Amino acid sequence: MTAVAVRLVRLHAVSRRLPAALALLAACAAGLRGALYGHWDSYGALQLPLIFEACCAAVIAVTAGSPFGEPERATGRWLPFLRLGAAVTLTGLAAGALAAAGSGLPLAGGFPEVLRNVAGLTGLGLLCAAVLGGPLAWTGPLAYLVLGLYGLYTDWHPPALSTPWIWPARPPHDVGGALCAAAVFAAGLAAVTLRGARERPGG
Amino acid sequence: MSVEITAASVPAAPRPVARRGAGAAILGSARLLRIELRHNAMLWLLPVAIALFWYNGYREIMALPPMWNLRAMTLQNRLLLDLAIPVTGAAAWMGSREGRRNITDLVAVTARPRWSRQLAIWAATTAWAEVACLACVAVVYVMTARQATWGGPLWWPAVVSAAGVPALTAIGFTAGAWFPGRFVTPLVTVVMFFGLGFSTQAASGDHSYWQISPLTAGAFDIGAAPGVASFYPYLPDLSIAQVMFAAGLTVAVLGALGIPVARMRWLAAVIIAVGLAAAGTAVALAGTGRLDPHGMIVIPALHDAASDQPVRYTPVCSRTPIPVCVHPAYASVLPAVIASSWPELTEFAGLPGAPARISQVAVTYRQEPGNGITVSGGGPSVTVFVLPDEVPGRLGTTGAEFAAQMDEGLGLQLASDVILGGDGGAGVSAPSQAQLAVIAGSVRFPPSVESRDLAPLYGRLLPEPGSLASLAARRFAALSPAARHAWLAQHLAALRADQVSLTQLP
Repeated sequence: MTAVAVRLVRLHAVSRRLPAALALLAACAAGLRGALYGHWDSYGALQLPLIFEACCAAVIAVTAGSPFGEPERATGRWLPFLRLGAAVTLTGLAAGALAAAGSGLPLAGGFPEVLRNVAGLTGLGLLCAAVLGGPLAWTGPLAYLVLGLYGLYTDWHPPALSTPWIWPARPPHDVGGALCAAAVFAAGLAAVTLRGARERPGG
Repeated sequence: MSVEITAASVPAAPRPVARRGAGAAILGSARLLRIELRHNAMLWLLPVAIALFWYNGYREIMALPPMWNLRAMTLQNRLLLDLAIPVTGAAAWMGSREGRRNITDLVAVTARPRWSRQLAIWAATTAWAEVACLACVAVVYVMTARQATWGGPLWWPAVVSAAGVPALTAIGFTAGAWFPGRFVTPLVTVVMFFGLGFSTQAASGDHSYWQISPLTAGAFDIGAAPGVASFYPYLPDLSIAQVMFAAGLTVAVLGALGIPVARMRWLAAVIIAVGLAAAGTAVALAGTGRLDPHGMIVIPALHDAASDQPVRYTPVCSRTPIPVCVHPAYASVLPAVIASSWPELTEFAGLPGAPARISQVAVTYRQEPGNGITVSGGGPSVTVFVLPDEVPGRLGTTGAEFAAQMDEGLGLQLASDVILGGDGGAGVSAPSQAQLAVIAGSVRFPPSVESRDLAPLYGRLLPEPGSLASLAARRFAALSPAARHAWLAQHLAALRADQVSLTQLP
């Protein structure tokens, strides 16, 4: 990789506030670790990780917004790859950080569930970024968080939500839930890679 | 002739005095509020808020039996949590508007002070959030009013939810105004949601300070139960403390917005102190709560002794051989009670020792260590009974599960009272095998009742599985209720006197 390419990646990362996003992802992981030390009832133990996963997804989605707009699009032919790389890297780091935070502690669902939920929620956030703009991209993951928590709640109080589109309520190794989350993640990645986040006057 | 007019020759006109009355100030504030109402993010998030409530709260509330206490208390538990994300997010978004658009310096030179402008934006956001909140309350209450068989709306749960909305918007708005970065809105939203949703996890017992959470509509391990606030009025003690807390928190947080304004710093400090004092007092009051026997939290400093009087009502009775009378709020459950107890009510009607009427009485709640709560009720005689809190529709309870509870309670108590005589044969040390067989043959347990549920009753009220008495019970159960009634009418005295053997059972 040439120095120019490194500089391009660094400038793109800075323009998207990726250093701040990385710090927040680390804070989320630390928060999850701290929370897992607490004594929670069954509701709390199962629902707690989803909150941190949604927070990570919202942070990743918000980074999709560009402060430059048209000039950047007109001159940056590597822009789609940079967007794709940033989203995939942050998603992987978030899933890894959360899974690492839960190591040695009773993290409900383990790594498969963390990966599925983070990917699906991030995909939702990236779709929101493409439609609503980067600053409002948090609405999708956080609204979905409420649905996911309710889905987990119905596991105790039937009728349970059986649709795989509410994947947080499905078991960690459920194929249907994983496919739905993967489809949403792929759609979000495609939207942000090809179109970028929507630009709105006044942010 | 021409007249030359110069600036010097024109008499100086008096400068208009810039004096604004209170009316003009109010009019200006109203205009500002109207502008903010038209350009508010909460307006666009209203569909999201209402959709979330419909999906999470409304469907579950409507699945509950149409009892005001159940639905209103469940509404308080759900509504604010469902609104938390859109409301806090919209407020943080609006709060960060000036900083996000880099116009802080531009608007700083306008006529209105920053605090005043911010309060107008906050008020507009809160107004739209309250519209969402009250719309959800209205829909639930209108639907319940059309379905409920007794009682009227419980307003305190709705008031607590409505009072919680300004607190959410104030916290979100202030966070957005102070830290207008792109990550602040999602972060403060998640933190608020987490704080609100998980605040009750640390609660323990009826003296917990965490009862101040506006999602708490009663004792933790009771929650919204049919037995709470049906025989006795809904106690507003905890609700008053929760409203006080929410209002104090709102005032304190909005006061914090004025800290950066140098001229108003002292006023902001006073407002913050007043708000924190109110919120702190409310938390302290919540810590003095205790569970009363009727399932509600009593706060001595806020309690009105007049609320301890039972509610007057006319019971609703079934047209069964032995009438079953319930509180009118439970009228929708009465068909399920009759359906599960019909064989026993038919079989034992008119027999010596059978009650002429069975009436529902209130359950009694008692706080145990931690979050444990003991629910008891009824009496030694079958003339009174209690309905279980798990009525069909509550927490996913099915009709079969409810029928099983009724058979284990009312059906078994009725059968044992009649067969063993008096108060369930309390004075009889060991019922005979024939008596156990008749009791077991008279009570129809649904298939969902497993033998482990009945194990404590073996030898006391039911025969051991696989015993001769158990086989005789099956023979007896095969008869129709009318045939069992006819046999009991002839042999009940002998059965009670232990003069009937298993082989003599039909």
